Amino acid sequence: MTDGAADSSSCTMPPRRSLFCKYFATLFVAAVVPLILGAAIEASFGYRDQRRQISAVLQADARAASDRIEAFTDGIRDQLGWMVQLPWSAGDDAQHKIDALRLLQQVPAIVSVSLLDETGSERVFVSRLLLNRTGRGIDMSTDPAVLGARGNKVWYGPVQYQRDSEPYMRVAVAGSLPAAGIAIAEVNLKLIWDVIAAIRIGENGYAIVVDDSGHLIAHPDISRVLRGRASSGSFGRIKHLVGAASGAAVITGERGNPVVALSVPAADVGWTVIAMQPTSEAFASIRAALWRSSMLIAFGVLIALALAYWRAHRMSGPIKQLEEGVERIRTGQFEHRIKIFSGDELQQLALRFNEMASELAISQQKSARIERLKQFLPSQVAELVEHSHELLEGQRREVAVIFGDLRGFTAFSTRNEPDVIMAVMREYYEAVGAVTTRHEATLIGFDGDGVMLLVNAPIACEQPANQAVRLAIDLQMTVQSLAGKWCDAGHAIGFGVGVAMGPATVGTVGYDGRLDYTAMGAVVNLASRLCNLAKDAQILADPTIAGKVRDSVPLASLGQRTIKGYDQALEVFAVAPADLPLKPPGSAQRGREKEPQDH
Amino acid sequence: MKRREFILLMGGGLVWPAIARAEGGAKLHRIFWVSTQSGPDPFLDGFREGMRALGYVEGTNVTLETHYAPENPQALRKIVSELHRGDVDLVVSSGPATRVMTAITDVPVLFALSGDPVALGVVKSLAHPGTNFTGSTFLSLELAGKRVELLKDLYPKLRKLAVFSNTDHPGEPLEWRATLESCRNLGIEAAYVPFSGAREIENGLMAAGKVDADALLVFPDAVTLVHRARIAELAIAHRLPSMFGWSEYCDAGGLLSYGANQRTTYFRLATYADRILRGEDPSDLPVMRPDKFELAVNLKTARLLGIELDVSSILFRASKVIS
Repeated sequence: MTDGAADSSSCTMPPRRSLFCKYFATLFVAAVVPLILGAAIEASFGYRDQRRQISAVLQADARAASDRIEAFTDGIRDQLGWMVQLPWSAGDDAQHKIDALRLLQQVPAIVSVSLLDETGSERVFVSRLLLNRTGRGIDMSTDPAVLGARGNKVWYGPVQYQRDSEPYMRVAVAGSLPAAGIAIAEVNLKLIWDVIAAIRIGENGYAIVVDDSGHLIAHPDISRVLRGRASSGSFGRIKHLVGAASGAAVITGERGNPVVALSVPAADVGWTVIAMQPTSEAFASIRAALWRSSMLIAFGVLIALALAYWRAHRMSGPIKQLEEGVERIRTGQFEHRIKIFSGDELQQLALRFNEMASELAISQQKSARIERLKQFLPSQVAELVEHSHELLEGQRREVAVIFGDLRGFTAFSTRNEPDVIMAVMREYYEAVGAVTTRHEATLIGFDGDGVMLLVNAPIACEQPANQAVRLAIDLQMTVQSLAGKWCDAGHAIGFGVGVAMGPATVGTVGYDGRLDYTAMGAVVNLASRLCNLAKDAQILADPTIAGKVRDSVPLASLGQRTIKGYDQALEVFAVAPADLPLKPPGSAQRGREKEPQDH
Repeated sequence: MKRREFILLMGGGLVWPAIARAEGGAKLHRIFWVSTQSGPDPFLDGFREGMRALGYVEGTNVTLETHYAPENPQALRKIVSELHRGDVDLVVSSGPATRVMTAITDVPVLFALSGDPVALGVVKSLAHPGTNFTGSTFLSLELAGKRVELLKDLYPKLRKLAVFSNTDHPGEPLEWRATLESCRNLGIEAAYVPFSGAREIENGLMAAGKVDADALLVFPDAVTLVHRARIAELAIAHRLPSMFGWSEYCDAGGLLSYGANQRTTYFRLATYADRILRGEDPSDLPVMRPDKFELAVNLKTARLLGIELDVSSILFRASKVIS
């Protein structure tokens, strides 16, 4: 490859790369965009479904916890209800005490029970920790529990943290008869832990219970409850955030991690159950789906990359090959062939290209041959050799033969140096060649200082005789003007021309690379003889020519002459056109030095 | 990305947590079990059971080194100096040993006390210990009066009560004072029979037999627990209705017991041990208190005593009846 080819390929690089890029980008985008779009849509729908589902699960779990808490408080309320069924009467205290002790046995969460009579005085007090008391005791008529129970039959006290650690609540129940008095139980809320601890939402989800002001009552990690009121602040925030949202809310959980949370009120006691699950777990399935999707996308991207690259390469590769092929053809490497086996239009294109290249090569060979032929054949003949063989086939036809010959050349050539001789010969040949071309005649060949021309073969013309005579005149004038120049240089050289017309055999003869177009027949000999006969600056014509051009060219009959090879004498004519220049001075000295040649 | 990488990535995601868990569990935790008691140690068994339930296997991911220094607080001080050298993850102490352990400030200490840890000065409050100490209290102090009352319920004729108490036990004076006050409220004369450690228990028992009491109240602690059979035997021999702190005493022949469930307490203590070993700060772990109390009664012993007892007043509220 030459430098030029390298340059041209480098300057065509950008467009090819851009084609590759375009194909690559298009194919890539076409594959990846639907993939990403699909994944995104699936993720968004999945998220909504998951969110709804989590909401439902949290709702169910929170509701279950709330129901169980209500069952817990309802159980205590009902048990206390048994304590206040009958009105107090004298001497009842012992029996009431046994009832109260039984209640303690029945309900583990109750730490102590106070039974009050209708005046609000304590009659019986039993406890798991403190000493039991019976008989008329302290007056509790102004206790909020008593007032609350009297008002609503049932009273749930606020949550209190004993020693700022354990949550307790007082529950008071008034009997349907005022005389039945009031039962007040102190309940250890640590025992709700069983209710809450049993709730597991997924792997890490759980439920908590907070009171109205956001203090923690129950938590699966009981130690959080035992930290008392002081550490309950964060739960108040959670309660507020969750309560504000309808349905499940994503909030920052107690450990600072995001959680999905939902609250349900436990109506009787005014508590709130909050069910929550870490978002990492709640949305684990959607995250897994997203992860799968992104893996798929990554996988798809890679496949798309590979495919797009491959496809674009398959597209741009052959184009590059074709481009290189064109470049090679341009630099004349016609043997270059493109090999594309893509089985599509590109392969077809390569096939066509190769055909074109081979045809170009053939045509190139042809023109190279013509060029070679032109070195040896008249250019018209050379063209004909390539294009119309039939014209060159041997045939007999009417031709005009023109012979020209320098006079005094032998003497000139013996007296002068070869470079001078060659200079003269070159001028002479060039002049003859120019005239021949001008008159579209066929230059049969040079023979030293002699020249043979043919008219009407192989290319036919309308008036061969006229053309031959005009050619002869032109030739004579041209060479004579040269001869004048030569004379000035001290070389006595003249020029004579003979023209004859008649049937002759014309055709190409030759061998291997050598090919000659020639004419054979009497007319050739006649023209040669006439040339020999002609004096310097004279054009002699045979009767046939004379007969044909008589009307257009002035002719002078030189009378009958005996021509060698002819039995009878022939009338010879000298062409004497008006514009034929006068015989230059010294031309008389130019004698005939050449013997006539046989042809 | 190549297929192989893809599989690695997906597989890795599945395998990683398992490895992480295995690594976390593979650490060998070193726990010192410190007690002034000598074996057999019923508390240690309960704690071991709790640890096993939480997935700890001795020798694999935990070592429990027991340090008993019966009658010798000096020996415990040596342990303290050993603890200062580090590489111990947790100390579990019970009873009098806890008092010695207060010298330790850089290793978490779990305790199981019958008394009040705030009064003992090892924690700042029950909700927020605020020190390297946390654990369980059996609420013996609160229950002290209740035990006298229950004993009187069962044996209404009770007039003089022998109170058998190990003075080595932390919080013992407070417990005795609470008991004394309840006795006064219930019109009972209390006869204080103190002894100091296991070494004096025989002498103490002899003394208890000589105070001419109607019944025997034994403060729960490691020493009396270990010698519970011997104490119960003595009580039966002297025809003394006996009251104890934990149901284990009744199993061994004690008549009555009222108190927290030992097994539950030590099981919970093991959960705290687990949490501390996982990195939680003991100062944030509230002191646990029992929420359930067992009333146990041994009817066999009641029969053996051969005295008039109001069993019916107890039976309906007993959570454990041995017959």
